[in-house]
Amino acid sequence: MAESPEEVAVLVQRVVKDIRNAFQRNPHIDEIGLIPCPEARYNRSPIVLVENKLGVESWCVKFLLPYVHNKLVLYRQRRQWLNKDELIDITCTLLLLNPDFTTAWNVRKELILSGTLNPLKDLHLGKLALTKFPKSPETWIHRRWVLQQLIQENSLPSLVTKGNLGAAPVERIHRLVQEEMNVCSEAAGRYPSNYNAWSHRIWVLQHLGKLTVKVLLDELSSTKYWVSMHVSDHSGFHYRQFLLKSLIGRTVTDSNVLVQNQIINEQNPSLQKEEESAGAEAACAEEQSVDLPRHLEEELELCTELIDSYPGHETLWCHRRCVFYLQHHLSNKIPLLSAVVSSVDSSDETLNNSHHSPATSPMAQAMDVDGLNESSSKQGYTQETKRLKRAPMQDSFGPEVEYQFIDKVLSTCRDADQARFATAYRKWLVTFLGQ
Amino acid sequence: MRLYSLSVLYKGDPKVHLLKAAYDVSTFNFFQRSSVQEFMTFTSQLIVERSELGSRASVKEQEYLCHVYVRNDGLAGVVIADNEYPQRVCFTLLDKVLDEFSRQVNKIDWPSGSPATISYAALDGYLSKYQNPRDADPMTRVQAELDETKIILHNTMESLLERGEKLDDLVSKSEVLGAQSKAFYKTVSVAFHPRGGSPPP
Repeated sequence: MAESPEEVAVLVQRVVKDIRNAFQRNPHIDEIGLIPCPEARYNRSPIVLVENKLGVESWCVKFLLPYVHNKLVLYRQRRQWLNKDELIDITCTLLLLNPDFTTAWNVRKELILSGTLNPLKDLHLGKLALTKFPKSPETWIHRRWVLQQLIQENSLPSLVTKGNLGAAPVERIHRLVQEEMNVCSEAAGRYPSNYNAWSHRIWVLQHLGKLTVKVLLDELSSTKYWVSMHVSDHSGFHYRQFLLKSLIGRTVTDSNVLVQNQIINEQNPSLQKEEESAGAEAACAEEQSVDLPRHLEEELELCTELIDSYPGHETLWCHRRCVFYLQHHLSNKIPLLSAVVSSVDSSDETLNNSHHSPATSPMAQAMDVDGLNESSSKQGYTQETKRLKRAPMQDSFGPEVEYQFIDKVLSTCRDADQARFATAYRKWLVTFLGQ
Repeated sequence: MRLYSLSVLYKGDPKVHLLKAAYDVSTFNFFQRSSVQEFMTFTSQLIVERSELGSRASVKEQEYLCHVYVRNDGLAGVVIADNEYPQRVCFTLLDKVLDEFSRQVNKIDWPSGSPATISYAALDGYLSKYQNPRDADPMTRVQAELDETKIILHNTMESLLERGEKLDDLVSKSEVLGAQSKAFYKTVSVAFHPRGGSPPP
């Protein structure tokens, strides 16, 4: 096939048009790919659409890419004009071939800001690009920019009816978050330890998901199977470490707030704005009912299972270190927390007793000076309170258990790497606990 | 953690015959799947060709592992998996499959057999079931009788070849690979990336 400039121009025009038509014909395209095809078949389009998959025959790329790239650069340099539709088509073609071409994404940013381009289209385009280029940094960066646009739009009430997403704001955000979780998960599956995908996932939880306890727990549960089937994916396990750390941050902060609220309320009952504090306390109580130690224990169990089933994966041992560290730190925070809680208990009791009949009150008071709040039904008997009253849990976790685990692995494993990792873990443990 | 193919072959003298195979290329890019499948057939045959009777080996190539068991009677099995999938489970699977195959398919039919003529339909089911090793083989933690020190480990495909032999030449000459697959092999610097994304930079 001759490559005269005119022929190339004709070819490119045709390809760009074919791509646009493919998207119009099939809005459900979910994957793009390159078809290894060294020679053009006479007069056949290099664009192939099969079962929701869009393919580009490889022979045309060497003509197509430089031409379209050049065209966009000329536009940017104001040496050649392109109208809005042309810009959309050209950037789309470019980004499907090379999604790290920042200029193309920037042109689309301008189109979005001027209201010509629906930001949701860019989410779709990005998702497609990621099927072939799952790490593409510029795609993830642009995606975050688009999401930020969508959140801002969400917060302006006048745009609710004109908004791109339909449905109520909270529902919209929730759907966006779920979709992002899916996109990240797929991209993570397409490239091992896909740091860009997993850090995007974290960003979404922070900025769209607001790191609520619900979203953190949902993510913990929904990624469990994935990491079990990707035992050397360090980024996947790092994500779970992030979830656990965020849960700890969340629960400890909220329980401090809860405790402070109670102290304030007891001291100034007249100032208590019933509805407001009841709501806030309910929310805090819900978050208080997160059984952090149980989640950490379960994580450690998961780690043990995987280490035993799949010997020789360093990622699992690194994860173990992190979980153990979190357990250790959490258990060190507990004494502080229970001291605060028990002072709340006793002040609570004295207030209650001032309403009792004189006959019973001396006895009641004598009991209450010593006792905790077993007799009081006013205090919610939450998981957290129950656990605080038990002896510290040394049976199911702790250094002794870890040393036993290491010994068991070393005496039964036949994988040289596994032995090496177990030994390294023991060294780490000794150093860590020695501090 | 993934299995990509499970094949039963016969190590004839001089040629190796594919008797039956099952493939799972669903994690690869759509347009690469047929080429990937052809490559797995090509690779499985090549490995059996270059392995001794009565041997077990694991051949590493980029991020995937080809586990092969060639029995003394010439019946051979190859599992192509990624590098997370536990090796022991692969060899348990191969033992099981070859045992069952040899009982269901008459030995007379092995030297001249092909996927079209051989009737053994269990491979697809095994491939699917074993995608999750803990479901398929709950005893993965238990010490198998198999002595792992007897499994030869090759760090590359190239180490199976004779001195001076090049994989590129074998690819060009292969009857198993179609023109598109050969083109694919040439244009991509990595033969194929196991999970279908673009090759690492």
